[in-house]
Amino acid sequence: MMKRAAPFLACIGLLVIWQLASLALKNDSFPTAVEAIRAIPSILGDKDALVNFGASIRRMTIGFGVAVAVSIPLGLLMGRSRTVASFFNPLLMVIYPVPKAALMPIIMLWLGVGDLSKTLVIFLGVSLPVIYHSFEGAKAVEEKMLWSGAAMGLSAAQRMLRIVLPAALPEILTGCRTGLVLALITMITSEMIARQSGAGNILFNALDMGQYDTVFAMIIIIGAMGIGLDGLFERMRARLVHWSEPQFDIPLSFS
Amino acid sequence: MIEIDSVSQVFQTSARQDHLALSDISLSIENGAFVSILGPSGCGKSTLLYIVGGFVQPTEGLAKMKGKAIKGPGPDRGPVFQEFALFPWKTVLGNVMYGPRQQGVKHSDAEAQSRALLDMVGLKGFEDFYPKELSGGMKQRVALARTLAYHPEVLLMDEPFGALDAHTRTRLQNDLLNIWERDRKTVLFVTHSVEEAVFLSDKVVMMTRSPGRIRQIINIDLPRPRRRSELLLDPRYQAYIVEIERMFDDSDENELRP
Amino acid sequence: MNARGFTSDLLLGLIPIALLVAVWQALVSFGYAPVTLLPPPGQVFWRMLHQISSVTFQEEIAATLFRLFAGFSIAVILGVTVGLAAAVNPAINAVVRPIVRVLAPLPKVALYPALLLLVGFGHESKILLVTFDALFPILLSTYYGASTVEQKLIWSAMAAGTPPREVLFKVVLPAAAPSILTGCRIGLVISCIVVFLAEMITSTDGLGHVLVTAARTFQAVDMFVPLITISLLGLILNGLLELLRSYLLRGFPEV
Repeated sequence: MMKRAAPFLACIGLLVIWQLASLALKNDSFPTAVEAIRAIPSILGDKDALVNFGASIRRMTIGFGVAVAVSIPLGLLMGRSRTVASFFNPLLMVIYPVPKAALMPIIMLWLGVGDLSKTLVIFLGVSLPVIYHSFEGAKAVEEKMLWSGAAMGLSAAQRMLRIVLPAALPEILTGCRTGLVLALITMITSEMIARQSGAGNILFNALDMGQYDTVFAMIIIIGAMGIGLDGLFERMRARLVHWSEPQFDIPLSFS
Repeated sequence: MIEIDSVSQVFQTSARQDHLALSDISLSIENGAFVSILGPSGCGKSTLLYIVGGFVQPTEGLAKMKGKAIKGPGPDRGPVFQEFALFPWKTVLGNVMYGPRQQGVKHSDAEAQSRALLDMVGLKGFEDFYPKELSGGMKQRVALARTLAYHPEVLLMDEPFGALDAHTRTRLQNDLLNIWERDRKTVLFVTHSVEEAVFLSDKVVMMTRSPGRIRQIINIDLPRPRRRSELLLDPRYQAYIVEIERMFDDSDENELRP
Repeated sequence: MNARGFTSDLLLGLIPIALLVAVWQALVSFGYAPVTLLPPPGQVFWRMLHQISSVTFQEEIAATLFRLFAGFSIAVILGVTVGLAAAVNPAINAVVRPIVRVLAPLPKVALYPALLLLVGFGHESKILLVTFDALFPILLSTYYGASTVEQKLIWSAMAAGTPPREVLFKVVLPAAAPSILTGCRIGLVISCIVVFLAEMITSTDGLGHVLVTAARTFQAVDMFVPLITISLLGLILNGLLELLRSYLLRGFPEV
């Protein structure tokens, strides 16, 4: 029971530290935790804000969904075929350190400030970790399992679908979890850069207008979104791959 | 040399159940004796070794070394593990020098001693290799040299040749006896191979299946130095093996009978 | 892999990059994209060469690199220390684990406005953001590496006379090195990404700022230059870390 309660206690602990720190610093631009929490209901009750949130979540879902649909097959193929891997690896390595949200201005030039550019950037951001983990997961599938499958008469495509995919699933889901975190980050950042709608937009509007309570309240809300999504995903993942060896339970990479 | 006094060991398994690994073990090991602890897997023989090594504290009872209670690991009881446990970030020489350096021996002296030891175990020329570049048999030689380097009074060997192929195993058994003959340290040797226990030891401590108890202690009265080629044809050697195996078979039947 | 295999892999991998450049050039030459939106690769290349030799641009790179290194270094020191401490001390573990669990999925970029309010718009806010983002992968992989050290290694060292308090530095730390360095590699990439993004959101200098300035003045060429620069920087830094890694881990078997 203590173990379950620990994250909640940690949250409360952090909020307490925040409260004490803000009281100690007495800085106008650093509202207390209580003040920030009090600002939350007004944000959630504001229709405009909810529309913004909805847009954010919609973009994130589409970007994530398309990315996963494209990246998993690509990663699996790369994992089982050295040719495919050698073909894509250098390209991916070059794209890797480029912050996908940083592509926003260029993409904005081409596609405007709307949904498409932000969704595209989220798609790019999520793709890389999912490709990488699918690749690693597929690579690690034991050759002998595939030989058994071939001996049973499965075609290459069937082996991919019925052996490689399930076997690599734990690793793939780890990649998806990372991708989910990245989707959230990329979404926020893209909205901070291309202000027009979304949670990141609300955040920076509040900053510009000196509504510091709102700023910190938004941080709490976004933080809660992140934790909530991650928790939900973890539960789903545990259900899907309960047969696998226990994976290290916090994502190692946010790349 | 070593006194094991009514030692019992209970482990908590993940299912929140208590597993009695060792039950009321009492054993006395004389100075300079080569003693094997023999038993099937899971009988707690390694646990007993770890208790003597001070790596595990017994739930009940006490292990004593030269009259003093064993509270933790120390250079008087040197382990050699089945998995070799060599430090991968150090070279062969670095591994062997670790103990002496830890005891404050000057670098140049430690190096000279270690090189001599490596020569003795047959690894001259491999000092600057990393463990990953060695075969299993070679790694175990390094492990042995590393332990001998800090001059323990007792050698604790936990199925040291279990991970090696049969051919390497016999070679290392012979080499071990040759090295042991030089200063006749006290050795506690865990194994599940009847043949290995009889070949190497002065005394074989037979253990039962879990919960581990001492079934029988057999004195091996064969002359030393022992050569495998001679022993294989020695009827006394064969008799010991048959006797021990029969005892194991009997007890297996007893356990299987409802 | 033999020399011939490596070269053919490399050549194969260059194809998609070359293709991309070719498509890029084609789009411009055949008029599918106006030059103002998509300058030809040649123009970008020359502009890059020009910029790199200019002192102002070098100062921008210096600003970005400074923040990157500062943030990364703090993250390494903090992450390794806390990771090791949590791995060997159950009390520290009990406190750290839930906090990390809560903070890890939180999009730390959402904290950026808070940092701006607390420490101002200069170097510190960016360095702190880099630290927060790079900290977790390093901490987690240190913790993972330190807690999965083979027990018999520790026992061997203790039997050889190592007192318990020295075991941490003489056995646990070197044994965890592969894991720690993997975490550092991830942390480094994250540092590159985050510093660039922070500079894009608010800054007066640095590569991210160069990008945003170019975007505001619709200088498409000048937008590509900082992006390619950060990508190259990332590759170079990653390469350097790889070299360090192969040296430090020369004794470890390949994973």
